[in-house]
Amino acid sequence: MPILQIKDVTKVYEGKVTHRALNQLSFNVEEGEFLAVMGPSGSGKTTLLNIISTIDEPTSGEIILDGMNPHTLKATELAYFRRRQLGFIFQDFNLLHMLTVEENIVLPLTLDQQPLEVMEERLASIVEKLDLTSFLHKRPNEISGGQAQRTAIGRALIHSPSLILADEPTGNLDSNSSRDVLELLTKINQEKRTTIVMVTHDPIAASYCDRVLFIKDGEFFNEIYKDDRRQMFFQRILNVLSLLGGGQVGDLSTIRLP
Amino acid sequence: MTFRQFAYRNVVRNSRIYGAFFMASFFSVAVFFIYSMLMFHPDIEQGILGEASLLGMVGAEIVLVLFTLFFLYYSMSAFLEARSHEFAILLHLGMEKRQMNKLVFLETMIIGSGSIFVGIIFGFSFSKFFFMIVREILHLDSLPLYVSWQPFLLTIGVFTSAFVVISLISVYFTRERKLRDLLKGNDYSNSVSTYSKIRAVFGITLILSAYVLAFIVSNTSWIGLALLIPFLATVGTYYFFRDSLPCFLDKARGKRKFHWHRYRLLSLAEQTHIMMDNVKMFFVVTMVSTMAFLSVGILATMSSYTIQYDRLNPLGLVYKGDVDNPYERNHIASLRIQLEEKGLSYHLSRFVVIKQTSSYTQNEVEVFRESDMNVLLSSFSYPLLNLASGEAVFIPYSEESLKKLKDRVVHTVLEENSIPLTIDSVYPNIVFPGSIVSVNSIVISDEDFSKLRKPIADKDVAQPTYHLFTFYIPQWMETKDIGKDIGELAANQYFYKKNKFSPFYFENAGLNYSYVLATYSLFTLVGVLVATVFLLAAGSFVYFKLHTSLEREKRKFDVLKRMGLTDTELKKLVNRHLFPQFFLPWGVAMMHSAFAFLMVQGILKDIANISIVKEVVFAFGFFVLIQVVYFYLIRWRYISHIRS
Repeated sequence: MPILQIKDVTKVYEGKVTHRALNQLSFNVEEGEFLAVMGPSGSGKTTLLNIISTIDEPTSGEIILDGMNPHTLKATELAYFRRRQLGFIFQDFNLLHMLTVEENIVLPLTLDQQPLEVMEERLASIVEKLDLTSFLHKRPNEISGGQAQRTAIGRALIHSPSLILADEPTGNLDSNSSRDVLELLTKINQEKRTTIVMVTHDPIAASYCDRVLFIKDGEFFNEIYKDDRRQMFFQRILNVLSLLGGGQVGDLSTIRLP
Repeated sequence: MTFRQFAYRNVVRNSRIYGAFFMASFFSVAVFFIYSMLMFHPDIEQGILGEASLLGMVGAEIVLVLFTLFFLYYSMSAFLEARSHEFAILLHLGMEKRQMNKLVFLETMIIGSGSIFVGIIFGFSFSKFFFMIVREILHLDSLPLYVSWQPFLLTIGVFTSAFVVISLISVYFTRERKLRDLLKGNDYSNSVSTYSKIRAVFGITLILSAYVLAFIVSNTSWIGLALLIPFLATVGTYYFFRDSLPCFLDKARGKRKFHWHRYRLLSLAEQTHIMMDNVKMFFVVTMVSTMAFLSVGILATMSSYTIQYDRLNPLGLVYKGDVDNPYERNHIASLRIQLEEKGLSYHLSRFVVIKQTSSYTQNEVEVFRESDMNVLLSSFSYPLLNLASGEAVFIPYSEESLKKLKDRVVHTVLEENSIPLTIDSVYPNIVFPGSIVSVNSIVISDEDFSKLRKPIADKDVAQPTYHLFTFYIPQWMETKDIGKDIGELAANQYFYKKNKFSPFYFENAGLNYSYVLATYSLFTLVGVLVATVFLLAAGSFVYFKLHTSLEREKRKFDVLKRMGLTDTELKKLVNRHLFPQFFLPWGVAMMHSAFAFLMVQGILKDIANISIVKEVVFAFGFFVLIQVVYFYLIRWRYISHIRS
């Protein structure tokens, strides 16, 4: 049973220049899957993520998340839905600068009016898992990028959402921090069976996933599944990307016979 | 595109950003212009309000200019701050610092000349309306509109130089920041200032001691202490915002049970941040609002005094003289002639007042005759007295004495002539102004009065008997010039010839009223202006501060919305975000002014015997209303910005 179904989703931005960001895109995400969505700039990745996170509405088509279509909900119910079912990780962390690390992590729970005991208990387990103990009382501007992203992951996890949406989570990190964060996400995915949808540019980041979905100009292009070895998988991702990349590469010239 | 065109397009196409700055300058110009219109008014220059008013107006104008300068500087730097990203791009593209200064200068001058132009037009079109209001307040016959070059020249001159100064200063004082930081936009200041617990306690102690002092002064009329209060309150307020509040908030954040609760987590943290970042702004807004409250409160007091004046001084003219006063016949005759010449109807009553000693208090009492009193009462058309022998009635000397004497029954004997009396009531209206009758004044029946043969035994009393002439004049406000010669004579007799006692005493309520009115008009003109500008400025400071951090706030709310913040919750959060910024400085200012008025009331009680509670409460209520409207207005703009 897929946890997320995207059915023929089309998104057209009206305005001075009409722009079709997504065109009849369909795919499913199984429960406990770690999916990467790749594509060149302007391929509609962020629009897709916005539609899944119910910030934006599709022009046509529907998405089914956990057996229901969130876009039929009222605004308030939708907010409650996001608050309980979804977790977000952003490229630039988006931590609230006036809160300390631990306050940032428990923020979703306080908004949901959980009792203090629950908050403390969950915080303790998450902090231990993410190795954040030593700087719980620091401000976001006093910690490194990797630590900030771990904090953001903590915030996305603390309310045990059914789906985590990550938008270029390694975009602002150096290679060591990137690896840490990706390994962390993989671990969470495997241990807690949390479904993760990650949008990325980075083939290395994508190679940590179970499946990589490629989109181009808002349309489905290709998808590949994980290999036994990450190195191999990475190579295959690069191959698809080179097909996807420059306009001419995909259009194989017809064989000319002498 | 030339450089000048660039500056021009910058302004015209960025109207949303510049709008608030333009409005602030435009409003200052308009207020200044209207005020100078009044100042240069030919009627007022001729001195219908007295020299003091003119001087006060010039003073207020100077205060206004200085304050406007500060205010414009503040808003200007707020906008430069808000545009730092834009400047960064320009610098990145290779603009020289000198060119950027020129750009800012040009832009400021464009906005400045625009606001001067629009402000003057606006001011001129509303000056007739303003004159009408002033005419009503000051009871002037007419205050016609006029055209003269002076107000125009003054306004243009003052504000052009103000804008030049401001644009130069604000460029000069802009913080040098690295281009990289500028490009990143408004960064959060990393230097979180710390508070000290000692200073936190110190701040609160200072404020409390200022309050206690105000309380002491109001009860003991030890006025010298009052000079210390503004100093204590000012320093105390600064430390209150700088240390006490952050300390308090930090303590609150330490308690998880309290802090980790719904919106509190965010709003407490936010408030701490805002507090620490904007200590100076909070302090300035508080002090400015306090001044605005005080000036309006004083106005309210003055207006209550002028309204109550009529009741406290029911008689138009009062002439009081010794039995052997040589001028009596002449003076009364001349007063009557002058009144008749003016065509004012009047009602003259004569009194013979005899001083006696009361056995009850062993103090002197002034005794009035029933039939004399009834003549005066009938002119007021008040109920007449009907006293039997042995009965007496108190004459009230103030509102308060009315209440105090109401239920008092006194059995006494007029010692010199052994006449027993029962004083069981007080006359229910104030008949004489407080300065004329003594604290112990009674009316007795004609029968008893005729038995008063022996004068008061106390040798120190200079006049055992005196004559009192009261003129009840319905149009008492027009008696200003009547009896001027008598008043002068009294002053000469008393002051210059050093006679121990003047044989007569003359009081002209109309003349006194004109003095009161002149002072009142001075305070009105100065106070209304200062209060308007201060109030506007106090609100705008907050607005500009909000404007600078708008982009940052928008990003924050975007994140929160993604995390599942409902629309109602967003509004609640915005409320919690804006409310303290608006109402905390005002609240503190209200507290300060409330104590100041407590003190003023205490002092006034001794001098003028009037109550200002009602007026002050009314003025404060009015302010709260304005604040709430302003709050909702800005909240509405703020929410729509954040949602967009």
